[in-house]
Amino acid sequence: MRTYERPVLLARAIASVQVQTFTDWELVIVNNGGESSVVDGVVRTAMNATPSGTIRVLHLPDRVGMEEASNRGLLDSESEFFVIHDDDDSWDERFLDTAIRALRSSSSAVAAVTGVTRIYETFRGGKVWPVSHEDFPLSQGLLTYRGMIGGNTFPPIAAVFRRTVLAAVGNFDASLPVLGDWEFNLRAVTAGEFYFIPDRLAHYHTRTPESDAVSGNSIIIGEELHRSVKLQLQDKWLTEPPVNGVNKGELSVVAATEVLLGEIRNNRSDALLNLERIASQIMRLQPMVRRIAHNVRHPVHGIRAVGRALRRTISR
Amino acid sequence: MTVQLSAEQVLDEHSLASVLSIDFFDTLITRSVAQPTHVFAVMEQELVATRGTAWRGFAVARVESELLARQGIESANEHRDVTFDEIGYQLTKQLELTRADRDMVMALERDIEIRLVQSVPFGVAITEAARSRGLRVVVVSDNYMPAEHLLNMAHAAGYVWLSASDIFVSCEHGGMKHNGMLWPVVLSALNVPTHSVLHVGDDEHADGNVPASLGIFTHVRDTMRRSHRDMINTSPAVLALSRIESCYRNAMDETGWDSAEVIGGGLIAMIVAAQVIDARSVLEQRSVAGVHFAARDGYLAHRVWNILKSHDWGLPNATYTAFSRSVVWRACLTEITRENVGRFVGDDEVLTVARLERRVGSALASDLDREKPIDAATARDVVLVNADAVLSASKTLRTRLLTYLQSHGVLIPGHHIVVDLGWTGSTIADLAELVAGESGDLGTLEGRLTGLYWDASPQRMRIAMHGFAMDEFGSITDNLRLLGVIKLLEALVTAPHGSVVGYEDDGTPIFVETAPELAAYDVVMRQVGDAAVRGAIAILEGTHPSGVTAADITKESLWAAIMQVGHSPRIDEINLLSRVNHVTSIDHEGNGRPLIAVTPKDPSSVELRDLPGMYDTLIHRHWMQGSLRALWSKPESAWIADEVYKRWPMTAPRWVP
Repeated sequence: MRTYERPVLLARAIASVQVQTFTDWELVIVNNGGESSVVDGVVRTAMNATPSGTIRVLHLPDRVGMEEASNRGLLDSESEFFVIHDDDDSWDERFLDTAIRALRSSSSAVAAVTGVTRIYETFRGGKVWPVSHEDFPLSQGLLTYRGMIGGNTFPPIAAVFRRTVLAAVGNFDASLPVLGDWEFNLRAVTAGEFYFIPDRLAHYHTRTPESDAVSGNSIIIGEELHRSVKLQLQDKWLTEPPVNGVNKGELSVVAATEVLLGEIRNNRSDALLNLERIASQIMRLQPMVRRIAHNVRHPVHGIRAVGRALRRTISR
Repeated sequence: MTVQLSAEQVLDEHSLASVLSIDFFDTLITRSVAQPTHVFAVMEQELVATRGTAWRGFAVARVESELLARQGIESANEHRDVTFDEIGYQLTKQLELTRADRDMVMALERDIEIRLVQSVPFGVAITEAARSRGLRVVVVSDNYMPAEHLLNMAHAAGYVWLSASDIFVSCEHGGMKHNGMLWPVVLSALNVPTHSVLHVGDDEHADGNVPASLGIFTHVRDTMRRSHRDMINTSPAVLALSRIESCYRNAMDETGWDSAEVIGGGLIAMIVAAQVIDARSVLEQRSVAGVHFAARDGYLAHRVWNILKSHDWGLPNATYTAFSRSVVWRACLTEITRENVGRFVGDDEVLTVARLERRVGSALASDLDREKPIDAATARDVVLVNADAVLSASKTLRTRLLTYLQSHGVLIPGHHIVVDLGWTGSTIADLAELVAGESGDLGTLEGRLTGLYWDASPQRMRIAMHGFAMDEFGSITDNLRLLGVIKLLEALVTAPHGSVVGYEDDGTPIFVETAPELAAYDVVMRQVGDAAVRGAIAILEGTHPSGVTAADITKESLWAAIMQVGHSPRIDEINLLSRVNHVTSIDHEGNGRPLIAVTPKDPSSVELRDLPGMYDTLIHRHWMQGSLRALWSKPESAWIADEVYKRWPMTAPRWVP
């Protein structure tokens, strides 16, 4: 569990681990350069709860990237399975038990991913309260390589991994400021299946815009950064040699475009409102779309086809 | 209480009858659960245990399948009843069952019906009396099960004299009691005139009005359906309370239904048992310096603890510790500002200076008439002007509170647990800080609470807490449902004394008694509490006649019980609790608010734009579901409840996912 100066959310996150019906857990809290006495205080209080698993704190003297923080925590533990539990998310008490049972019953699976409820909450002045919630769209299909290549399909809180996957595909890419989980998932899924558990046992908490800035989600606050890192990753993959005749970057760009088209089809009114954003994304995608073109007999036709599809969908 | 006519009296009243026709379910036989659909909950429990978690949700699907099958019959304008096979067809579609699975669940249903069947004492008495008088006895039932199955159930319940030719069931004869079309078949088969038949059943319409309109003598006795709630709320979690309530239903068949006894011996007994179970579970896991039951929410559990202790349960001493939100907060007060003065005076309160003085524990300098009503803003200004005096009073209160805590062992170094109902943990967190500060961080507190909702999150920085039935990691809808029932639980899980508002110099707590609370205690809560203590002890000692034991008191079953009563109450519970006012003001003075919100005088004058405010008031200041059900039960105000259910779906009676 990586944390940085969000003690109320951290206290809640620790409690969400402590209430698990599966009790043989070890929680490694990586205090990513935040005030150590605050984290120690929260942990000391939490440890007054009737114990089940164990809690250890790793204080990093300086703040590092999210993925580096995850790697430090993994390095400091030896469990059979691991989860990256963000300090603002939470679980239903059956999460670990259900996910670990699934992994134990399916030896080919490298990860178990549960359904997710997205909770929108406002955090202000040290208080946090829910505003609304929705079912996070997730399915077995979105946990395949093809399903995930277009973009991140689930938050880390939903997944339990078998530790052996680290030996197979390596740790999180510490150079990535965001989207390290997506990049890791894409490598991990090549090592084995992600087992989907439809029960919504993971709670992905998102702060509303009215919340204090310090409590924000990385994905909401750094939307631009996420887009930029995604493009950089896709650029990098485009330079990699194809595997089984398929280039990872090309596949990602095509899938991302499909996701955009899907968004437009599914919610035309929102799409119109966000037209500017989408257009800007398409412009950014253009260079990569051109690269796809070498697999298409008539590249211009391919680009025009995408354009026509976009125009048709928007005009509906 | 209404005393029911005996079997002999019923027969005497209709001495011309030569045939006794008797309804089957809930007249001749019943089951060891509170309502018919709970049979499906037993099925789900067994299916999940033997065939895996994929069968979760079976019970609700079974209820829905029957409704769908009935809708199909109605839309085809048919007068017959639905058949078991048609329900099986809907179930197969809904759950995508294989043929083998369908056959298996239908056989299981028949099997479990036979396992759970019990005879109704009145049913035994009247059939025996009728037979001894030479009457022919037949069963006339509206049901989807074939006569052959009803016969097997009847034999299992002890009616061994019954034969297949004595049973007329709607699914086999093209008509129902309900629409009157089964009766010609029955009369023709018996070859008797209508005035020779006495029919006894539990449904006012199908067993009373309809046959009476045909000239048949009737007697309606609905005692076996008094434990019924909404059908749809059916899952294995409901079975603990269901079994307890079925025992009450049977025991009160002759004497009449006693709502206070049932609520106390049912839901409240389960809560109290859970409080004791939870405290014991901590003792089994770690060394504990003190177990403290908080006044007033822990009063009943403390009584149970001491009784069990005297029964050689090997329990340590536990204290009954009096503190309240207001005294702990005032004792911890170090400054008074515009930001925190609101905790002395609620936004909508109208006070007097005299009452404000009692509230802050100090004389207040003011030019205002001490007995003249003042609004919240003025009252807050008076407190701010007198900040020094108020802080001085707080300091004195702190000293006295610490004296009290010392005498109750709360300041002994080590880990203490505090047992309370809930709901945000802020008071126990304040207390924990006081204890930590006074003991040089050698004393720690852990809150063991019945329920916590999302407001508890910030307190987790200050105190470790556990919510037995619910915490903020449950769904938002369940968190909101909990908010809607906390006034009910606070009112019922209580003590025979008022809330603590201060302490004497020697630490003796000062309780304030309010007339509405005293009256409610005498009328309702004393009986509820006594029944709860008896019920909890029986559950914990494994002697409860329902067979419910400590092992059945789980997070799921306690949450379900809270929802069964708190979210889908029966009308008898609403009638009982409409007499109760709950006092929540900081000084525990005043008349408080009724648990059940008063129905608007002219419901037709309520406008849609009023509903958000109404919802807000109901969820924060009253027992929300009790109030909504009260509205729903009256034709003139039912639309308001329906509209609230529609706009805020989590308020709708269905709480099972």
